[in-house]
Amino acid sequence: MPRLPTSLLRKAYAIDSLLPPLLGPCRDLNSARNELRWLREHVDKVSRARYTKGGSSAKGGLLRTLVRKRVSGGKPIGAPLQYGLGTEYFGDLEIEVRPGVLIPRPETAASVTHLTRLVRDARELPTELRILDLCTGTGCIPLLFHDVFYSVRSDVELRFLGVDISSKAIALANRNLQRLRRSKKYVHKGVTEFMLADVLVNPFADRARRPDEPLPLKSALNFNKKRVFWDILVSNPPYISPSAFRTTTARSVRGFEPRLALVPPGEAGRSDTEQGDAFYPMLLVAAIDAEVKIVLLEVADLDQAYRVARMAQGMQVYDGIEIWRDQPDQAHDGSSQPSSEFPIIGQGNGRSVLCWRGPGALWLGKNNGEASNAGPLVQKPYSELDSVSKPEAVHSSLHPESFMQMQGGRRNV
Amino acid sequence: MKVTPWVCRSCLSRFARPLPSHHIRFQSTASTSESVPPALLARARTIAFEHKQLTEKLTDGFDTRAAKKLGEYSAIVNALKEWDKAKESVAELTSLINDPTTDPELLALASDDLGATRTHLVNASQSLTTSLVPIHPFAHLPCLLEIRPGAGGSEAAIFAGDLLRMYQGFCNRNDFRSTLLKYENINGTQEAGVPLSEAVLEIDSENAYGVFRSEAGVHRVQRVPATETKGRTHTSAASVHVLPSLQENSLGENDIEDPESDYYIDPKEVKLEVMRARGAGGQHVNTTESAVRLTHIPTNTTVSMQDSRSQPKNKEKAWVLLRSRLAQTRREKREEEMVAMRRSVVGVARMGRGDKVRTYNWNQQRVTDHRSGTTVHDLDDVMQGGHTLDKVMESVRSWLMEKDVEALLAEEAPTRDVKK
Repeated sequence: MPRLPTSLLRKAYAIDSLLPPLLGPCRDLNSARNELRWLREHVDKVSRARYTKGGSSAKGGLLRTLVRKRVSGGKPIGAPLQYGLGTEYFGDLEIEVRPGVLIPRPETAASVTHLTRLVRDARELPTELRILDLCTGTGCIPLLFHDVFYSVRSDVELRFLGVDISSKAIALANRNLQRLRRSKKYVHKGVTEFMLADVLVNPFADRARRPDEPLPLKSALNFNKKRVFWDILVSNPPYISPSAFRTTTARSVRGFEPRLALVPPGEAGRSDTEQGDAFYPMLLVAAIDAEVKIVLLEVADLDQAYRVARMAQGMQVYDGIEIWRDQPDQAHDGSSQPSSEFPIIGQGNGRSVLCWRGPGALWLGKNNGEASNAGPLVQKPYSELDSVSKPEAVHSSLHPESFMQMQGGRRNV
Repeated sequence: MKVTPWVCRSCLSRFARPLPSHHIRFQSTASTSESVPPALLARARTIAFEHKQLTEKLTDGFDTRAAKKLGEYSAIVNALKEWDKAKESVAELTSLINDPTTDPELLALASDDLGATRTHLVNASQSLTTSLVPIHPFAHLPCLLEIRPGAGGSEAAIFAGDLLRMYQGFCNRNDFRSTLLKYENINGTQEAGVPLSEAVLEIDSENAYGVFRSEAGVHRVQRVPATETKGRTHTSAASVHVLPSLQENSLGENDIEDPESDYYIDPKEVKLEVMRARGAGGQHVNTTESAVRLTHIPTNTTVSMQDSRSQPKNKEKAWVLLRSRLAQTRREKREEEMVAMRRSVVGVARMGRGDKVRTYNWNQQRVTDHRSGTTVHDLDDVMQGGHTLDKVMESVRSWLMEKDVEALLAEEAPTRDVKK
């Protein structure tokens, strides 16, 4: 990292004596000023709360402590600001964060919001829509989905299950749920639960399980009497390969955030890239097992997106696969669109892979794509839908393959 | 001894000087020409081309905006067609006349016909130019007509009252709804019949501003006043201001969904930029990058917002700020236009008898408009707001239109140069 010029430090000091230390982790004056402002706001809030409880309202000491923590935190580089402030914004929601659990990222919020909006605008949805979130961390994805969905429509019951391997994360996710339930704008509808389980472990592996180890996903679902079949699977799994962890991650990520949430565990004889992709085969198998209609998986970059999309294509069950960039809701700016076998949506880095099958296409508004060119005549499938009681039955006529699967595995709950 | 009566020196020196003659005649005759300025013609051609494209587009599917535009253009396209036809027939006739082999009988017929076709062409070019001239943005609005006496003392005040009655008569005859918003005579009371000091007439019919716009200016009167004892002719003036009445509530200021509102922004015209973390993003980076920048492309107005740690909140705030900023500039522009209009009507300094727009001469029973150069002789009918006033106002409107065409040409000339 290049040394900060003295002139910049002087300029920062002239504005505020606490700014020069913050320049270390921030590297530029503007973001350092923003961070200092947010720290100040936080300190104001905390001291006001303390004062009402009868404590002292001294701010200077608290602010200096926070700045020191941000700057050094006992290590050469400062702790993430979010751990200092205790919260991070995920979409519109303020999510509590704690050391040991991954801080929610704005890119995840963008793709989850986009997915929720697409599903929200669907005409036909089941009366209960089930969303499974694997590797949930702070529980931010189910909570944001809930918030965005119920802010506009409320005719559908949503059932969420967030799964994580870390008991710390499950505790924090439950705490975040309680916190949001107390807020005024929370819509008290649907069910949100969190469950401890290991996504990576094969339940049939011939291996002795230590008693303190979490159960494999399938066994945990059965053991905890959770639903076995789900409609949508969302996941932001660890996806950084060991070499990328050493080179591309920011220092405050490497030094302070849990490696468990960032890098998949290594195994003998696995290449660097394979280790980075370790979660995706398991997630795709879990999606098949749970009869999921829509899958959204976050990835590190466009290359990994291609690999995951090809894996999903190899499953031969999906009617469509798309790659989303950082901002899927933005139209592409027209520059450097690589030609590929999968459509790429939005602006920014390659961020997630979306797969759908059967009624999932209808929920995403995908299968009126080819029909919309024909004009108003497209209404045919919908009018058919109205006359037929089971939407699946209509759909199966459109997709013979999914019809077979549907007949084979009806929901038994 | 011969006694010479004493004569004031300044009166004597007046004889030595030539008589003051600043007759400002803006235009004596309405210009009639059969040619259309090339810039306007080019404009008409492009519009015709666009019209054709729009028609094709509308056959495929209905689009409200395109349909509206098509309606606006069709008048121009029709006028252009008419003009082309007339031009062609004139060319044909001239070639027939110039041809030495033409039958003499046919020649006589052709030369007879040429005159009629020529006038037809003149009419066609006139209608083409007028259809191309943009309608005044406030022409559809109701208006306020303010009458105040100018130079000439109580005679001017009497004449101002006459003018007010003239316009009231005009409104009654033409079914314009008019209300007297303010009436004050020189004694400061509302009593009618006493010379007028100020009157504001509101005409709240549609298109009133378009009709009365031409009336703004100094109206001069030449007559023997009722207050004159020695029978001398006086020249006095009254000023007329015409302002469009913009009703604030009709604009629906705070409604952001209404396209007419100041606060409306077409989302398609706004470019949203979101600050992204440097490098790979996602799990690799955990800095808080929540800054948002909105750019309104037509006006190049930029708003960036980084106050909150939440990006959606920043976006929301940025939209609010952008809306109010654009509304502010729009409002300022409108107010500027209003001020410019007020000034252009007649300044306080230019209320003298010299800068008149129209003269009412009782001795000759005539009314002359100095802008269009029209003179009519039925003064009594004019003062009652009768048909003759219609004729005068009509002539001024066509004169204004010509001025607008000139302005349009002047405006288009530089852009043409750029294109070249």
